[in-house]
Amino acid sequence: MTAFVLATVLGILFAAGTFLLLRRDVLRIVWGVTVLSQAANVYLMTMGGIVEPSADGVPVLAGHGEHVPQTTDPLVQALVLTAIVISFAMTAFALVLTYRVYQEHSTLDTTTLEGEP
Amino acid sequence: MVFSLGTEVVFLVVCLPFLAAALVRPVYGVLGERTGYAGAAVALVCFGLLLTQLGTEAAVSIPWIPALDVSLRLYVDGWALLFALLASGIGALVFTYSVGYMHGESGLVGYYGALLAFMGSILGVALSADLIALFLFWELTSVCSFLLIGHHTEEASSRYAARMAMVVTVGGGLFVLVGFLALFVVSGSALGTETFSLVAMLEEPEAMRAALREAGLFVPALFLVAVGAASKSAQVPLHFWLPNAMEAPTPVSAFLHSATMVKVGVYLVGRLRPLLESSEWMLLFATLGLATMTITAMLAVAATDIKELLAYSTASHLGLMIAGFGFTVPYGAEAGVFHLLNHALFKAPLFLVAGIVSHEVGTRRIDELGGLRHDLPVTALITAVAALGMAGFPPFNGFYSKELLFEAAYEVAHAAGGLAWLYPVVAVFASVFTVLYSLRFLALFFGARPDGLGTVHRPPLTLLVPPAVLAAVAALVGIDPQFAVDSFVGWAVEPTALEAHEMHAGLPTSLSPPVAMSVAAIGLGAVAYPFYAGVRDAVRTLASVRVLRPNWWYDAALAGLDSGSARLIPTIQNGLLRTSVTWMLAATSALALAGYAVAGVSIPAYDGVGVSLPIVLVLVVAVAVTIAVAVAPSHIAGVLTVSILGVMIAVFYVLASAPDLALTQLVVETLALLVFLLVLEEVPEFYGNIDRRVAFRDVGLSVVVGATVFLTVLLTTRTPPGGGESIARYFTEQAVPGGGGTNVVNVILVDFRGFDTLGEITVIAIAAVAVLVLMTVRDGGDAT
Repeated sequence: MTAFVLATVLGILFAAGTFLLLRRDVLRIVWGVTVLSQAANVYLMTMGGIVEPSADGVPVLAGHGEHVPQTTDPLVQALVLTAIVISFAMTAFALVLTYRVYQEHSTLDTTTLEGEP
Repeated sequence: MVFSLGTEVVFLVVCLPFLAAALVRPVYGVLGERTGYAGAAVALVCFGLLLTQLGTEAAVSIPWIPALDVSLRLYVDGWALLFALLASGIGALVFTYSVGYMHGESGLVGYYGALLAFMGSILGVALSADLIALFLFWELTSVCSFLLIGHHTEEASSRYAARMAMVVTVGGGLFVLVGFLALFVVSGSALGTETFSLVAMLEEPEAMRAALREAGLFVPALFLVAVGAASKSAQVPLHFWLPNAMEAPTPVSAFLHSATMVKVGVYLVGRLRPLLESSEWMLLFATLGLATMTITAMLAVAATDIKELLAYSTASHLGLMIAGFGFTVPYGAEAGVFHLLNHALFKAPLFLVAGIVSHEVGTRRIDELGGLRHDLPVTALITAVAALGMAGFPPFNGFYSKELLFEAAYEVAHAAGGLAWLYPVVAVFASVFTVLYSLRFLALFFGARPDGLGTVHRPPLTLLVPPAVLAAVAALVGIDPQFAVDSFVGWAVEPTALEAHEMHAGLPTSLSPPVAMSVAAIGLGAVAYPFYAGVRDAVRTLASVRVLRPNWWYDAALAGLDSGSARLIPTIQNGLLRTSVTWMLAATSALALAGYAVAGVSIPAYDGVGVSLPIVLVLVVAVAVTIAVAVAPSHIAGVLTVSILGVMIAVFYVLASAPDLALTQLVVETLALLVFLLVLEEVPEFYGNIDRRVAFRDVGLSVVVGATVFLTVLLTTRTPPGGGESIARYFTEQAVPGGGGTNVVNVILVDFRGFDTLGEITVIAIAAVAVLVLMTVRDGGDAT
């Protein structure tokens, strides 16, 4: 099944993320990175195949695993889980960096930041 | 997998030198400068093990990358064994020689290590029957050569020569790789299954040729292999790196740059000869070889330094071998194989003699040397045998193989007529120069001794024995060439031959046209010798024209690359983030789209929404929110909408059967929102206004990126990956028995892929520490 809807959504998300990356406000650049990493996670999920929620589809086994149903791809979910946490770490770091940049330079405008040695 | 008994020792032969290379440091600690003897012992063991394989034709393999059918496949036949025996045999002598020659030098651990690794690589090239393994060993020889040429790291000329050899030979290796991939691609239709196995390809040469032609890849593959072989074997116009490589210590020159590494190209040409044989083959390689033979022989006459003379002469003889393999008549392969052996037997001792001369006399300038037979009588004798072989005088070994080349050239010209008569004419013309420079080298030992020459020491035995052994073998081949042919060379020719042919070598009994060619070459050379200075000056004048010197082109190209990069970098990396992002994203999109265009992909037909209505609704909200973020008028509006986007994605995870992700996402979003709000309090509300022109350009780039992503997602999700099911299934099934948990995602994170999670936690820890440091170091970072 070709994922037309998801492809469209991801296209728009990536476009918006790119637009934000190109801004001169450091904070908006951080938003851009956040949007891009959200989009990348959704893309990974799409690659694994989207399955509607049901007792058998969720990769949590009932009982003690006597019955192993055909679940969604658990490996992709593990990857995305790691990615979510890491992108949070990155966002937090970028935000603190933004804050410190403002403290040091009294501006968040990248075009004026570059001029300084 | 069944090993035929005994053949697996070739694995040992390839591994042993590498193993020894790893052990050089501790061994050097014990033996000191005598480490060379240990290296010689390793080479001798390899030589002995290879001798046990005489007469065998067998393949052995161990799987390496089974999914791609890549394996470490080794193959023994006459051609492989000839090359491997030469490498290990001369290797043993060169190690012995090094003990004397490198006496008192520093950096010997690196020297012997690289030399041993080189020997392993060259044995690997000789014995590999897998294209990928062959390529890897091929490039390894280039790397070792780089290290050895640059042995004197403190000298700029050494570094320059090493880098040049690296650029030319590794660059050529990449051409070979692409050529090999072409062979791999067509092997599917020719042999049934796609394979990197050279043995399988050589078994069905006609099918391979037909498949290559059908795919339109025959000429490209031929050309690519030729470029690689030409770069490695110093063929015109890529010959210029070889004379520069003479910066290396002389034993290295003898071993790598005359006897073995530079012959790798010739070896490959001989190996692929039955596979790619055609009229194009002959035109390409016969012309390339003869052109190299002529031009470099002329340059050898113009040389001022004895090692430079020998280097150009090596290139010239390599041209002879390439031309031999180029001629698609039986004599051609015989000339190529026999000359490969003969050349190693006469050129390696000549290099070692050059080493003795520079070591004991102190100069390598041709004009300053002469009459050395009084000081170095044994060396003079060795030189006489080797130089006369190089000149192709009967009854010395070089004569017979050169005679075979003349026969091949004559036969081809006789059959084809017309312009093909240029082949024998050029071959004789080149041989005249060969005779000239060979006599000039020999003359170093005869004639008057210049007054400027100081005292000349007698060389120690370690310097004298290796060239003497090689010259003795060369003399034996010269005395009874038919014995060499019957016992070994004939067998080595077989894998490179196109048809069965009884090989003969011996002194001529009647004046056939090829014999007349030899007579003409030797006669003209002898007649022209008194006018050597005139010829030399004429060639020097010609060679000093700038555009005729490939070395000048090389320097100009490198300088151009340098200044071009220096000009380009300020444009794409001007310090502004938006410039870097623009170039990077635009280039990535352009490359991806160009790739799709070249591959000719078609956009899949629309086949329904594919996801349930709730998911569509959530995604619509997500898109709306994202656009709101992009155009947010204030910081607070943006932060809140980014947060809504995160929550929408969390809902999407719920609907896509990923409850763990949804939970994590919600927790992370909440935390991120808190951090955002904390920071917002401290920074100004500003910078929302956008210049219309800039916005227009940015939207353009964003649309291109979005379109690329759209297309990529469509193409990558069209068919689920074939192997993906099995690994997902594996984790689901093993969750309880293997990991003891029913939540499969958790089990993967903490058990199956526990190290990934450790890495993830490390990232979090590093980020936390970095945040802490940023918040506590307050005064611009220069608090001391």
